[in-house]
Amino acid sequence: MKLLSILVAETIKSHQHNFHNKLIYFSLLIWPALLFVTSYYSFKPFNLSDSSPLSAYMDVDQITMFLLTGYLGYIFFWSLVQSAWGMSYERQAGTLELIFLTPVSRIVVMFSRAAGNLLEAVWLFTGFTLFVLVVTGNAGDIHWWNVPLGLGLLSVSAIVWGGFLNIVFLFSRDAGILFTIFEEPMQFFSGVRIPVLAFPLWGKMIALIFPLTYVLEIFRDLVLNGKGLVELAEQFIVLFGVLAFLAIVSAFLLKKAETHAKETGNMVLF
Amino acid sequence: MWLAFSATFQRNYLVMKRAFPWSFFLGHILSGFYIIIFAYLTYFYVFKKDLSVSFSTYAGTDDYLSYVILGGLLYSFSVSLLMIASRAIITELREGTLEALLLTPSSRKGYFLGYVAQGLTRVGIEFAVITVTGYFFGLHLQNINWLSVIIVLFVLIVSTFSQALVLGSFMLYFRDTYITQNTLFVLMGLVCSITFPAHFLPEAVRWIGTIMPLTYGVDALRLVWIEGKSLSDILPYLWKMIILGIIYFPIGTFFIKRMEKYVLEKHFG
Repeated sequence: MKLLSILVAETIKSHQHNFHNKLIYFSLLIWPALLFVTSYYSFKPFNLSDSSPLSAYMDVDQITMFLLTGYLGYIFFWSLVQSAWGMSYERQAGTLELIFLTPVSRIVVMFSRAAGNLLEAVWLFTGFTLFVLVVTGNAGDIHWWNVPLGLGLLSVSAIVWGGFLNIVFLFSRDAGILFTIFEEPMQFFSGVRIPVLAFPLWGKMIALIFPLTYVLEIFRDLVLNGKGLVELAEQFIVLFGVLAFLAIVSAFLLKKAETHAKETGNMVLF
Repeated sequence: MWLAFSATFQRNYLVMKRAFPWSFFLGHILSGFYIIIFAYLTYFYVFKKDLSVSFSTYAGTDDYLSYVILGGLLYSFSVSLLMIASRAIITELREGTLEALLLTPSSRKGYFLGYVAQGLTRVGIEFAVITVTGYFFGLHLQNINWLSVIIVLFVLIVSTFSQALVLGSFMLYFRDTYITQNTLFVLMGLVCSITFPAHFLPEAVRWIGTIMPLTYGVDALRLVWIEGKSLSDILPYLWKMIILGIIYFPIGTFFIKRMEKYVLEKHFG
């Protein structure tokens, strides 16, 4: 019950904070849609016929579907990077201190903050994805019965990721760097725009850092290739391993951050 | 006018020296760098240098890497410049110095020129860093007619500055920089022939590129840089940029003036 009330509170907060201005729809829909279109056309200078070298990694006709699923996953993760960015404002405005003065469970707050943001941030682009599917006539190629599972998996992973980022931001006030690190590298190293398999070894190593890489692989196998749970068991185990690792590190960092803040009294100022 | 110019220049120089905007500086360099590295990975590892026939027809060159690297270079250049000029007044508003600025009888022309001239020193460093990085990723650097390059850049700067005035009025109206500027930048990335020739786009979208100075600037720069064309070959591009500048300038100055009054009435009562 407590957990639910925290979640509701965080959702309301996020809604009131973000949706007071209609301009929010630009970052929710227009930007990702334009990015998706740009990355689609970025393939155009290359040989996309049947003899294309790309066919070693994926079906060339499936580029639209590949990018669409890629960007859908990216939006789930990216929206929570943006939400973690807002953390620095909470800190400066003093609301973070107020929350920490109440007897709520900190970890629940951190993960609820991510979860409360997620739904509002992704529904528009998810709608856009459906729209593109129908318009391009690709709706028939989707394995629809796997979609709820895929989206659920995407949400859970994104929330773990978002909670982790929120906690990282308990340590620092300068959040601008987050954008620089995560915005575009996450787009190409985690396989949003090009298949990870095509990377050289160092590229693959970087890909392993982003949890989105693991999620996208499973998501595409589920939704585009219609693979079942049994076939994907190994990938699921890896993904859950990564998520569990993130969750444990989060819990550890959170404790450390609070002790640190209590010792130095710098929750607001720095 | 020169007093306002040098005063603004010196003030912004001091601001930069004492609080260098590292996040913008790094961000602009990285945005160019990311375009480069993405093109590099796609070209060598995903498509193994296998270009489509229509690329060289549309782009006027076979050198894909130089094409995209120059695209990334000029994109980042344009974005930097647009941000510097368009955010000038709204930054004064946010920092609380707008009222003081409006009270002085200083020339607004001198103010903006000083702002941009100072900003250009920073943009120049970004430009050099991205060019050097681009060289390591395969940017063509032989037999470049630097004089033509400088002329193209100069015309682009003037034209982009006029565009920035219009953008600045939008920012003042919405009292927002983040959404306004980034919407324009994402759009520019799509329609201005940055990573692919705009000819690939459907006609209905392509026209948006024709109202952006960057579209012509980037094509002109590629012609003189990669293909070694002479100034007379790129004259049409230069003209189009100049015309856009002539159109944007009066619109921008008119609306900036209007918006100054608007924010003054709204925020200072």
